[in-house]
Amino acid sequence: MSDKPSESREENAPPPGDRKVEAADAKAFAPSPSDAKAAATDIERSTPPETGLASPSPEVRGMVSAVPGTGDQWGRELWTDPDINKHPALRALREAFPDALGDVIRFRDETTIHVQRESLRDICAYLRDHEKISLNMLTDITAVDMLRLRTEPRFDVAVMLYSLRNRTRLRLKAGCNDGEPVPSLVPLWNGANWMEREAYDMFGIIFEGHPNLRRILLADDWDEGHPLRKDYPIRGWKEYPVYNTERTVPRVRTRWTGRGV
Amino acid sequence: MATIHDNDTTTTAGEQPYGTPGAVINENVSPTGTLTVTEDHLLETGDREMVLNMGPQHPSTHGVLRVMLKMDGEVITDCDPIIGYLHRGTEKIGEAKRYAQFVPWTDRTDYVAAPLNNLGYVLAVEKLCDVEAPERAQYWRVIMAELSRIASHLVWLGTHALDIGALSMSLYCFRERETILDIFESMCGARLTTNMMEIGGFSREIPDGLAAQVRNFLRIFPGRQQEYSDILTANPIWMARTKGVGIISPEAAVSYSLTGACLRGSGINYDVRKAQPYQVYDRLDFEVPLGQYGDTFDRYLVRMEEMRQSCRIVEQCLDACETMDTPLMAYESAYVIPPHKGVLTTAEDMQRHFIWVIKGFNPPVGEVYSAIEQSKGELGYYLVSDGGPMPYRLRIRTPDFVNLAVLPHMVHGAMLADAVACIGTIDIVLGSVDR
Repeated sequence: MSDKPSESREENAPPPGDRKVEAADAKAFAPSPSDAKAAATDIERSTPPETGLASPSPEVRGMVSAVPGTGDQWGRELWTDPDINKHPALRALREAFPDALGDVIRFRDETTIHVQRESLRDICAYLRDHEKISLNMLTDITAVDMLRLRTEPRFDVAVMLYSLRNRTRLRLKAGCNDGEPVPSLVPLWNGANWMEREAYDMFGIIFEGHPNLRRILLADDWDEGHPLRKDYPIRGWKEYPVYNTERTVPRVRTRWTGRGV
Repeated sequence: MATIHDNDTTTTAGEQPYGTPGAVINENVSPTGTLTVTEDHLLETGDREMVLNMGPQHPSTHGVLRVMLKMDGEVITDCDPIIGYLHRGTEKIGEAKRYAQFVPWTDRTDYVAAPLNNLGYVLAVEKLCDVEAPERAQYWRVIMAELSRIASHLVWLGTHALDIGALSMSLYCFRERETILDIFESMCGARLTTNMMEIGGFSREIPDGLAAQVRNFLRIFPGRQQEYSDILTANPIWMARTKGVGIISPEAAVSYSLTGACLRGSGINYDVRKAQPYQVYDRLDFEVPLGQYGDTFDRYLVRMEEMRQSCRIVEQCLDACETMDTPLMAYESAYVIPPHKGVLTTAEDMQRHFIWVIKGFNPPVGEVYSAIEQSKGELGYYLVSDGGPMPYRLRIRTPDFVNLAVLPHMVHGAMLADAVACIGTIDIVLGSVDR
């Protein structure tokens, strides 16, 4: 395979100072004899088609990693610096969206930034397209029902981002009440489609601008609400018959907590 | 003539309403069925769209995946994967279990790579509680994780090749997987749902002879894998069915949040073991294979090479930990189950053990996201703790669920037979997709 260097392989320069990833890039495959034979009898393969997808970053093919330890103010080590004000994404967001930011929480070297739900999509787009921060990969979208932890707002929509360039993570959280729409991230990442459908299915969170917001894991005609909400009992609202008996499953409160989860 | 409902009213006492001999149930339905192609005008106007329902019991959908395909002749114009047939509410169950109780449930998510799921969960809890397993346990965890990665890839290879038409591959691959399951059985007594790892390490000693058993596997397996590679890689049928099929461009791979071989097959270098090393991976020497074209054949090559690299990792770990005689469990932490030793002889030990098992432990308030490189991609556990003995929220970010979302993109404009190859190459396990 090495006799056909691709554009992506060449520009995918290993980060200096990281000895492990260098080895990964230097050699793509250890070509076995049969692989070489396959390359000899290569049948026609077209290059990846140009898709009309939202491009995750202007430079996905030519990713270069940040140089840690060179005094770079965007460097990787600053993302876990004890002084949270040095966090590169936080500094950039404070300049660009001074009104949209809420609490910033650091726990176990992970940073969580609470943002206003109205500007969630703008913030994600800003972080994705920022040249140095480049949080260009959406890891996960999920929600947390904060019913027992606070009064307002009820849900937290958690968006986990990953930077292929810096190899760092960031979590954004946007609070929303029941029925309040959260801007969908599908225009930014296609992968958000199913994640938001699952968050809708499990929590009933409305994602505004989602092309196809319907249930995904539960049945389309599921009429018992959204099961991961905290007020949803773990066995459901209905009584179901026990297989092969005349009994039904009683709806009891959970033993240990009494809180009915 | 009488229909079913008419029969009801005219039934006299002692006469069976239905199924009487000679009764015509509905004469409007032809006895040969109703699916007959009579709309010739549709063919003439060129509107030949047909909706094809594939699954959920179709053998090539690897479980209970159902795919609705909109076909124009044999070309797929639209695709809608329908999942959820195996949804068990694992995340909801996790909110009602204490932290240590949930480890067996992780086996049931991705049941062909159970130790990897155990590892992902215990790492998340250890990150939440700031516990670190002893070095020897970390090495053994990596050994078991890499062995289960090989086992998972073998299941993928066998079923993927079986879908495409190489029947014998599944027999060979399951033969090798059997030896790995034997290793798991020696390790923990279970073959499939291992429940192997615990928070803080391993609470049981590594059995004698396990290292020799693993070494025996490492001696046999590379040659066998080369045989599989010889069977498939240069096979003209295999190449015709996989090369250029299901192409994912690098931009699309990142946009669809793909991880694992689906991402690396498109040439993007992201492996959690390298990018954010956990356990002892930063001390090990291994390489991450990358694809070039992003098609099914590249993903096949990537996974085959990953198996070779896994063998290297296991060998290095065995060399490092075989002679170690250090403990396997971080017993000094309050978040770790007290030792079994002494439970049956000492009252204090028994009480401490009992209280820990019954009450669990209360981790700090906070939230963590911990990711590992599972055999199919990035497996992430997102734990929110309110300080109680059970997680306030337990989110499993399974790689297959996210990877499967790319299927409509892959099969758009492809042939029906290529859809089977595309489903196979994503490498899904429906227990993990539906959770």
